[in-house]
Amino acid sequence: MIQRREFNRMTALAAAAAAAKARAQNAPAAPAASNDGIAWDKAPCRFCGTGCHVRVGVKNGRVVAIEGDQLAEVNKGLLCVKGYHVGLALYGKDRLTQPLLRRNGVLEPISWEEAVETISQKIMAAPEQFAIYGSGQWTIPEGYAANKFIKAGLSSNHIDPNARLCMASAVTGFLSVYGVDEPAGCYDDLDKCDVLILWGNNMAEMHPVLFSRVIDRRTRGERVTLIDIGTRRTRTSEFCDHYLEFRPHSDLAIMNGIAHLLIKKNAFDPKFVEKFCNFRQSPKDPAASPTAPLNGEAMSFDDYKAALEPYTPEHVEKLSGVPAEKIRMLGDLFADKKIRITSTWCMGFNQHSRGTNANRLCHGIHLLSGHFGRPGDAPTSLTGQPSACGTAREVGTMCQFLPGGLQILNEEHRHEAEHIWNVPQGRIHPKIGHHTMLMWERFCTPAEKGGDIRTIWVQVTNPGQTLPNLHRFFKAKAGQPDKFLIVSDVYRTATTELADLVLPSAMWVEKNGMFGNSERRTQQWFRMVRPPGEARDDAWQMIAVARRLHDLGHAGMKDKDGRFLFTFKNDKGEEVPVWEWPRYYDVNVDKALFEEYRLFSRHKHKDLAPYDEYVKARGLRWPVVQQADGSWRETKFRFSEFDDPYVKKGAEIQFYHSVTKDDKALIWFAPAEKAAEEPDAEFPFWLCTGRVLEHWHSGSLTRRIPQLHASMPHSYVEMHPEDAREKGFTNGETITVRTRRGGLRLPVWIDGRGHPPRGSLFIPFFDERLLCNDITLGDIDPVSKQPDYKKCAAAVARA
Amino acid sequence: MSDTLSRRGFFAAFRRPFERRAAPVLPPVIKAEQPAAASAPVAKVAIVQGRFCIALTSFCAACVERCPVSGAMKKERGMPMVVADVCTGCGICHDVCPAPRNAVLMLPRRQPSTPQPA
Ligand code: SF4
Ligand code: SF4
Ligand code: SF4
Repeated sequence: MIQRREFNRMTALAAAAAAAKARAQNAPAAPAASNDGIAWDKAPCRFCGTGCHVRVGVKNGRVVAIEGDQLAEVNKGLLCVKGYHVGLALYGKDRLTQPLLRRNGVLEPISWEEAVETISQKIMAAPEQFAIYGSGQWTIPEGYAANKFIKAGLSSNHIDPNARLCMASAVTGFLSVYGVDEPAGCYDDLDKCDVLILWGNNMAEMHPVLFSRVIDRRTRGERVTLIDIGTRRTRTSEFCDHYLEFRPHSDLAIMNGIAHLLIKKNAFDPKFVEKFCNFRQSPKDPAASPTAPLNGEAMSFDDYKAALEPYTPEHVEKLSGVPAEKIRMLGDLFADKKIRITSTWCMGFNQHSRGTNANRLCHGIHLLSGHFGRPGDAPTSLTGQPSACGTAREVGTMCQFLPGGLQILNEEHRHEAEHIWNVPQGRIHPKIGHHTMLMWERFCTPAEKGGDIRTIWVQVTNPGQTLPNLHRFFKAKAGQPDKFLIVSDVYRTATTELADLVLPSAMWVEKNGMFGNSERRTQQWFRMVRPPGEARDDAWQMIAVARRLHDLGHAGMKDKDGRFLFTFKNDKGEEVPVWEWPRYYDVNVDKALFEEYRLFSRHKHKDLAPYDEYVKARGLRWPVVQQADGSWRETKFRFSEFDDPYVKKGAEIQFYHSVTKDDKALIWFAPAEKAAEEPDAEFPFWLCTGRVLEHWHSGSLTRRIPQLHASMPHSYVEMHPEDAREKGFTNGETITVRTRRGGLRLPVWIDGRGHPPRGSLFIPFFDERLLCNDITLGDIDPVSKQPDYKKCAAAVARA
Repeated sequence: MSDTLSRRGFFAAFRRPFERRAAPVLPPVIKAEQPAAASAPVAKVAIVQGRFCIALTSFCAACVERCPVSGAMKKERGMPMVVADVCTGCGICHDVCPAPRNAVLMLPRRQPSTPQPA
């Protein structure tokens, strides 16, 4: 059996070179180069939200080796296939090394001064028509700088991260159930649970190190029951005790079926429910107030019971296709208080046009049954990006948030932020900004037709590949000369195709950084190598533009006392002009930004420790609270008295940010509904999109890593063998997949990695040459505004 | 599995569309290398070195998925295994293996079946 420890000495880059040599001679690989002269430091992995730590080996100014970090609790020395090769993400041949401006259709090199001037002029011309499209891969200080720049500096809330496409429904789910974002539990639940339910969650491919943590328990002889509830057999299903396949969009019916059984058999937890829960449903009039859709309206327990009445196992079977006896099995599991149940989910729930409701119902069955608040008993969402929690959510780079969980719509919250930022009251705009989908729609719409966004600055993300329905939300920008797209990235991408200005960025260990992973763990690293050419930090780019606006006389770039918003002092108390690139690392700007941001973190009890604590740790899970002896203690299980220091003594469980202000969480009812576009005679297939093990999201990094590229060279469409046979398709044949948005030609893979059921197709989105988002629908969830990438109607034909 | 659905068919086509598409407007695509054994005169056989394979820790199965010869590779308790008598030595499994140390060795074929280290 494989020992985790064995992987620690594997140095991916050195090994890769050795392997290439070995291949040439067709002989066994030589042992990896000795460690002489290699300097090691820690960093979280650049890729997924699992948040593994790696040790990075640097020699002669280059990253030469990567190891799993044994001191890291998340991965205990292990990495997944992407993590082992993460160092190579820096060294693709076509790194961007100079700012490029489009002139007569061609991107031509310009100087940084010109680039900063160009952006500043665009903003000065129409600050209210400028927007920032950011990322869950922004480091925490980068996101914080961008958020402060636009909200405090430009008095505009037109900033949104790509997390809108990824975690927005989880956010609205947590907010509307607990009154505060992010999971109560953590990865330790995976070590403790008796039953793990994966709700449309292909953990083996998307969070492999986490999944191996669970599978490892089995190899040690522990018993853990895995239940996969999904719409397609995946690599994860292979390891599961039960695979329950449901009709796309009917997962809400399944959860209602479980709640129905708990109530019918009187098997819910009345003590827990009475003490800790209230009931809620969607408001009859969602337009009543801006917060109505999120907060819903109260319902009595009797109303709740009545609403669930129709969801008998037989009815749920009819809606979902999952056999009634399997629904009963789930009901019995939740009815059993002796076992511990952990639920995980990711894009299956979130990229769902009823995503908020799906999240709510999942929390609901845990609360109703009392499977909450003990280690191993928790509903936990997993993030796809390394700092979706850390940057997009906690720093509040979404258009409706301020840092630390404060809300734009709340006047007191705005004043609190204005106070911390030392800007005059009223500086922060009271209206929420354009969320991602609206931002891009308005950008793609001509000004005279209401397109009120003229310039977008994209950092660390690739919307030209990842937005749904690209023709409508991205490509329509082409041919509109008054629209200006700025892209900060490390490689050319589908997004830079339409960019007017491209800025070369430093990435990962080429800069200082901090991430926050799925389990509330805040992580830190230092710059270890220099970025290539003229590539520079994203936060520097933002600060340099802010400074230029300051010099051009933009009043917003100054605080109440007339000081520049990004004023940093060195140890001697002297101000350092960090907007001059050679001076940027004269102070630790990350630390300064983080210490300021930290002031926000107390409001919602998301307390962060001082920067230096993170330097020492392999991440700490918030709230991190100082102890009597001066040490800092992280929190694994929120809202539970035994671990969360903010729970009142004797309360047992306390939802101290409760929406209803009575320390209770909300159990929601939401009906099962039909999808916006279901298969019909003309488009008879469901089309689902998603990720693969080898590639990280849009593939701009992993497709440049030879090992990963060789292992998964291009996209494909999966279909059921019977469907293929009926159509007469051979394996590998190029076919056309058509939807109402357009067509896409790509090879069909039958009996490949995933196994979609009859009448269903799957296409991964990593391949920029085969953009599945040309044809996705992107129907949005009305509460979270997150688009659905998992279902639309499609037809197939010979290419 | 019927002939129309053979793995061979799929993987014969696996590279084709991309070599045609590979001169894109977008950045140069890193090309998958050609099978190592394609030009090798000696008959080869693949073996999986268990200690380098990341099937159980990273849920990789690239070799099994991409082996073009039906029955030449199988999974045993999650780990890939080569059935030496069926393996043609084409080397695709070696080429696609993404482990930090390539876990697939191509050995000259001597005996009809090569024992596999655990
Ligand atoms: S599981 Fe995620 S964080 Fe861990 S090594 Fe793999 S990609 Fe990196
Ligand atoms: S060498 Fe070719 S035939 Fe043999 S196991 Fe590998 S891929 Fe299959
Ligand atoms: S491709 Fe390599 S790492 Fe992956 S399962 Fe096969 S031998 Fe193991």
